Formats: sequence, C-alpha cells, structure tokens
Amino acid sequence: MRLRVGARTDTGRVRPQNEDAYMSQAEHGLFVVCDGMGGAPAGEVASEMAIQAIARELKDRENGDALEASPFLPHTQRLVDAVRQSNEFIYGEAQKDPRQAGMGTTIVGAWIREQIAGVAHVGDSRAYLWHNDRLEPLTRDHSLMEAHIEAGLADEGRSLPVEQQNILVRVLGREPAVDVDVTEVPVRSGDYVLLCSDGLTRMVAESELAHAIRTYQDPQQICDRLIATANMNGGADNITVVVVEVTGGWWHRLIDRWKRSVRRGQDVETYAAV
Amino acid sequence: MSKLTLQYEGIALKDYAVGAGITIGRLPDNAVMIDNPAVSGHHARVFHEGNRVILEDLGSTNGTFVNGRPVTRHVLQHGDEVLVGKHQIVFDQNSAEPQPAGAPMQSLGDTVYLDTKQHRALRATLESARADAARPVHTRAAVSASPSAPRRVGVLRVIAGSAEQEEYSLDGHTSIIGRSNTALVRLRGWFKPSIAVAIAKNGPGYVATAMGGKPLVNQSPLEGRYNLQEGDMLTVSGLVLEFAWKEGVRAESAA
Repeated sequence: MRLRVGARTDTGRVRPQNEDAYMSQAEHGLFVVCDGMGGAPAGEVASEMAIQAIARELKDRENGDALEASPFLPHTQRLVDAVRQSNEFIYGEAQKDPRQAGMGTTIVGAWIREQIAGVAHVGDSRAYLWHNDRLEPLTRDHSLMEAHIEAGLADEGRSLPVEQQNILVRVLGREPAVDVDVTEVPVRSGDYVLLCSDGLTRMVAESELAHAIRTYQDPQQICDRLIATANMNGGADNITVVVVEVTGGWWHRLIDRWKRSVRRGQDVETYAAV
Repeated sequence: MSKLTLQYEGIALKDYAVGAGITIGRLPDNAVMIDNPAVSGHHARVFHEGNRVILEDLGSTNGTFVNGRPVTRHVLQHGDEVLVGKHQIVFDQNSAEPQPAGAPMQSLGDTVYLDTKQHRALRATLESARADAARPVHTRAAVSASPSAPRRVGVLRVIAGSAEQEEYSLDGHTSIIGRSNTALVRLRGWFKPSIAVAIAKNGPGYVATAMGGKPLVNQSPLEGRYNLQEGDMLTVSGLVLEFAWKEGVRAESAA
C-alpha cells in the first residue's frame, strides 16, 4: 500500500492572517490539521503548538507502546495520547503567558498504518473517507450545531442562527483535560482520506468535495481546486485541506500512472506506507 | 430593521436586533437570555425568511404564545406580543436604531468556545428537550468512539486450520486477521497477507472488510463491507472461522 498526498493551506479572503496549521508526514502515514483561535497572535500560536507537540510526542515514542490498555490499535492509541499531551502542553503555555491566555485550537489527525487509519479529533475540523465512490464523514463536530442535531432540535434544513453556528463545545488548550473522539477505519487501494478545517466545509458542500475527488483524482489537484472553490464562495475563514490517496501494489500504480499519463502527462511522488 | 423588546410586567428591559436571527432561552448562549426556570434552554428563535420575520418555538416545555395564543411557528406582525415564560417580547417591525444582538459569551475571534460548565448545562437542557420533544429525534449513525458497552460480544471460533486459540473475542474497535503483529488472529507464513481481514465495530454489530489475500465469507469472495451475522463462515488463508455472538461477557473500558 502506498500513499500519495496533497496538502495546502490558505488565508482565505476575509481574515488578516492564517491561524490554521497542518502536518503531512507521508513517510509515516501521519496527517494533522489544526484550526487555531484566540485572536492574533495566540490562535496562530495554538495551532502551530499543537502540531509541534504531536510531532514531538510521536517521535519520542515512535515505536513505543500505547500508554494504557485500549480497544484501539496501538498506533491509534498513540495518536490519541499525543493529542491529549498536546492539550496539556497548550493549556500550560496559555497559563504562563497572559498574551496567550484563552488560546485554543481544533485538531483532526489521521495515522494510517498497515491499511488501518486511526482518526482522532477535537473541535470542528473534519475527516472524511472516500470509499466506493462515496464520501463518508469520519468525525462529528464538537459544536453547538451538532449538539442540537443530536438532540433533534435542528437539522441541516432547520439551522441555528449564523452567530451560533461557530460555537464549539470542545477545543484543545482551554481546559486541563480534554475528551478526544477516536475511530478506526480500514483503507484500501482507491480510497482517499480528506482532512480539513471548517474554512472548507462552511464554504463548500460535501457533494462538491465528493465531486472534486471523483473528477481530479490527483491529491494535490484536489486540494488546490477545493481551496479555489472555497475562496470563490467567499473564503470567509482560513482554509486547510490535506488529501491522502491510498494506492495499491506496483501493478495498481502502473495502471494508475498509465491513466494519469494519458490524462495529464505528469506524476507526483508516492510514499511507501509504514 | 426589526427589533425585539424584552419586557417583564410591562417594564422594558432590553432591545435586541433580529439581525440574521436570534434565539431566546434560558442558557447563556442565547442572544435573548431569560434566566427563569419556566423558560427552556433554547426556547424559541426569531429569524428572517425573505421579507418576513418568523418566530419558531424550539420544542419548549412551556410553549411560546403570541397575543395569548400558543404557536409553534408564526409570522411576526408589527406590535405582536410574544410570551415566553413570564416575559413578554414585543416585536417592532421598523425600528430605526437597533442594538446589535450580542450573545453574552466569551468570543474568540469569530469562533466561540463553551467551557465545560456551560457545555454541561447545555447538554442537560438538550437532553431534557430531547426527552420531552414530541418531534422525532434526528438520529445519525455514530461515528465517534463512544463505546455503548454492548452486552454481547462477537467471537470468532476456529472451525478448521491451525491457530493459537480456539476462540477469539472481538473486543477491540478493529480486530485484524493477518500476519501483522497487531493482528488478533495471527497468520503464520511469509506469503500470508499482513492484513487479510479487518473487522470493525459498527454500532452494535461488526463489519468485515477484505484487505489482502482472497478471503471468503460463506464460500463466496468477501467484497466491500460485510455485516457479520451469527453463523457466518470466514475462510482466510486456510483458516476457517465462524462468527458468533457471546452473551454478557464484559463491559468495555472507555477510550
């Protein structure tokens, strides 16, 4: 199994700076998107801090065991542990520096090892799986909106007032401990995993995400097109997209390469998955 | 611009612009917050629909009244008197100088965060709203890992072939059959697939996905995602495993 990866972040057309951050370590199968908050410069700091903390945690314990007994596979549990550690770290830093008080960030991380993607998230950054020509959400936002939907008080048609749509009920860095949502999903050749900040999902409908994957196929091209679409629709927030394509053995790649050369005559680097 | 004036026993308390839409309720995330036990957490909302301004009851316990009559959805007319609990809200269609409707909540740039205390209060209200809401609850398949501790657990019984155990309990979120050292059912041999089958918990059931080799289910190729049923036979690299349910074994630990 191999992974081909595209990633891009964009300030959008309204915000003065980009408070999103992402990490794409294709050689490790590890991908993270964070959407910081807390006003300049703390939001930017929080998302960057989360990425750094995750990278550090996972490097320190690259092949270590998970900290506790877990219903999840070891790599998934390590990702969750790293997310929890980064929460503690950001919370600690925010307490130390009054300029950074109240900073926070969302996080969605996917670690793909041995064809199983472990997904951890806090906040309203999302993960999707493209499988069998269908886009499936892997995360549910920790937002007031989603809480209303779960309670049967609202649905996509009967929405909350605009000013209540961006109320989060969980983020990293605002409290000493945080609940992390976790899931695992098998990925196969032809699947795509998409991670994004809400700057994408507020501007671009899920049907358009599916359309972009189906149409462009190339991970970087998908990212570029989706960001262009989000900006065309207003670009109200920072936009970050990471797209991971799962491809098969050498014969799959050969067929893929042939198809692509017929289509566009160029190729992107592929990475062996761990 | 239209506005709402909150009154109590005939005394005007505060004006609110309708703006893009506002909610009325007891919780602090409402633009019009009425701290009174007779008012539901999210009691009602007011919003524009085309040129009209709509009042909608959000499934409140004690109801919303306009000019003395209970309403669930009502097109507001100038001068309408809305009763929420013991507070009146008067609708003014053509207010000249509306005050911005501000939710009394800590604002973080444009995204707002509810802390645990606020969130707990909200959740309690939502749960009670769900309990007494007459409308059907909107359900979606859970994708998060909230283990609902099923009373029964799936097991794989070895019917034929050699394996380390006679029976494997599918306790984890994902159970793997393969050569991988994270596999629950370990396959031995160089040419065995690292992961032949992944079995994932899905709500109360289990979904099997073929990942490598040519696994069979009930003698047919395992394709796509397969919902395991009692008595299904999985054939993986010479190993034959039967899926079965086992009653009331263990409660899961939360992740």
